[in-house]
Amino acid sequence: MDAGNSLKKLRILADAAKYDVSCSSSGVERKNKGGLGNSRDFGICHSWSSDGRCISLLKILMTNKCIYNCTYCVNRCTSDHERASFEPLELANLTYEFYRRNYIEGLFISSAVEKSPDDTMEKIAEVISLLRNTYHFNGYIHAKIIPGTSPLLLEQIGSLADRVSVNIELPSRESLQQLAPQKKPEAIVSPMHYLSNKVLESRDNKRYYSHAPKFAPAGQTTQMIIGASHENDYRILKATQKMYDRFYLKRVYFSAYMPVVDSSLLPALSTLPPLQREHRLYEADWLLRFYHFRAEELIDQKSPLLDLEVDPKLAWALRNIAIFPLEINKASYEELLRIPGIGIISAKKIMHQRKVSAIRHEHLLKMGISLKRARFFITCLGKYEKDLHLDPQFIRDSLVPPHENNQLSFL
Amino acid sequence: MNYLYDCTFDGLLTCIYEHYYNQKCEGIYCDESYQGNLLHDAITLSTDYSKSEKVYRAIYKKISPQALRHVHYAYLSNDYHKGTYILQYLVLGFKVGAFIDNYHAYEEVKGIHTLSRKVSFEAHRFLGLTRFSDIGHLLYAEITPDHDILMLLADHFSNRYLHEKFIIHDTKREKALFYADGHYEIQALNKKTKLLFSEKELFYRELWKNYFKNIAIKERENLRLQRQFMPNRYWKNLTEI
Repeated sequence: MDAGNSLKKLRILADAAKYDVSCSSSGVERKNKGGLGNSRDFGICHSWSSDGRCISLLKILMTNKCIYNCTYCVNRCTSDHERASFEPLELANLTYEFYRRNYIEGLFISSAVEKSPDDTMEKIAEVISLLRNTYHFNGYIHAKIIPGTSPLLLEQIGSLADRVSVNIELPSRESLQQLAPQKKPEAIVSPMHYLSNKVLESRDNKRYYSHAPKFAPAGQTTQMIIGASHENDYRILKATQKMYDRFYLKRVYFSAYMPVVDSSLLPALSTLPPLQREHRLYEADWLLRFYHFRAEELIDQKSPLLDLEVDPKLAWALRNIAIFPLEINKASYEELLRIPGIGIISAKKIMHQRKVSAIRHEHLLKMGISLKRARFFITCLGKYEKDLHLDPQFIRDSLVPPHENNQLSFL
Repeated sequence: MNYLYDCTFDGLLTCIYEHYYNQKCEGIYCDESYQGNLLHDAITLSTDYSKSEKVYRAIYKKISPQALRHVHYAYLSNDYHKGTYILQYLVLGFKVGAFIDNYHAYEEVKGIHTLSRKVSFEAHRFLGLTRFSDIGHLLYAEITPDHDILMLLADHFSNRYLHEKFIIHDTKREKALFYADGHYEIQALNKKTKLLFSEKELFYRELWKNYFKNIAIKERENLRLQRQFMPNRYWKNLTEI
């Protein structure tokens, strides 16, 4: 392999892949059956880059040569970026050698569209098939699906990869129409639909016979860009919830828009990425997935933006102050999860401890449960902590420091 | 009275046995690092495998398998007082049985849970942070973890690199995990030789550094967050930094 050339390719194609958010390697437990590698269901992070995001998978594009001209994208055909492509064998070999040195947990392969969606996906399928069948690689593989891919290829990729994802890119049809006119909403939704059916089907088959062929055992995810178009948080969260309800997605990723292109349709180049907003959306997403919240509870059409000062759960509690304070010794597990500052681990600890003795305030501290927010919303054996009031304004003033430097956010 | 043991897990369990069947003790310490004091005299106990075996089984049966795991993990930590904490935890454990791990508000339980969590967290970290170099016929990695986690890495890596031969060298404790042909062993290894890498190895190192640099989004730079996940003390063994 030509060293200088490989370095250059890796530089260009890693740089172009960095805006894909997902890097998780969790959800599949697979032993090594006589090749290289295994997969662990808890996922393993191998490094953290200077932006604090974890590096778990070799996140790379097959090529950044693209026929599309999506306004927000660095790889659009009208940009004068350097272009490069990997050969399937080259990329499979690179993954193999990185994996042997424990640099990575697997491969996250994506691509720009050089000729047609099917042509691109064929190359991706070739890399995955090389890794799985020739190299006997048991590590994690996440394949990005290009909108408009034919079902035959979806079938082939899904049976070899651990996770598949189709990016919906933007939270609504209108902005997709405006910013990526060559991508049709139907072309995005139909592979998602197909994949979610296949994933459910294989999971169902597994219940009846244990050797049922697996199809994307770590499920399906998607990603949307936040801040490039005009949608408010209400629409974004409703769209997210719909993804979970309708397609049974594992996760929806948000990516704060980095202004890379100067266009009248997009925020100015000098705009800072709305990182705080992205953070609050992720918190809300967690509430949807693990805390039994519905999007309508967290946010409504009248005030369609998430509070940037406080987290969505605290904001919800402040609006619904009437149901508090909750008695720590009596509340159900689901109620405990609704107390701001109490997460799944704390709630479980409380449930355990309650079996052996009643809980008082000082016990909570000893149990390592953070009371910073929770103390406003609980009673222990009927006692509410003194000097506190169950008043939304009082709670907000005590928790939000007066001189907070909130990041300016583009909405 | 303090009991001193030879820093092995069996030695520690022998002390627990003596605490119940011989003389009560206040603390248990490893004899290599023990700092004597005027209030307590210390007796060094020699390890007796029949006694430690009995304690081992008793924890498993009379308390719980999970408690045994917590005790073992706490033993692997580098805390000076770990022996004493384990003693207190087990004394309570033999009283209350399998429910011991529900007593979150008790100091005896909290101490062991904290140590056990630290050890298992670090072991998990090193599943990712261990970096191998291909030195011809085998893969070699150097690590310097805070706790003695080598044993906890063994199953994972020996399954992952089934057909490879590898050494994971804990340079701080001067011991290493050796793996070849489906078997692993932990042995003392203090030799620190300067390794010469082949051209191919240097090439992949260069590629990895290159990838590491380019995958970061400059506009989102957050070095504090990076250090929080990947503390400075681990950096010297990482290829990419």
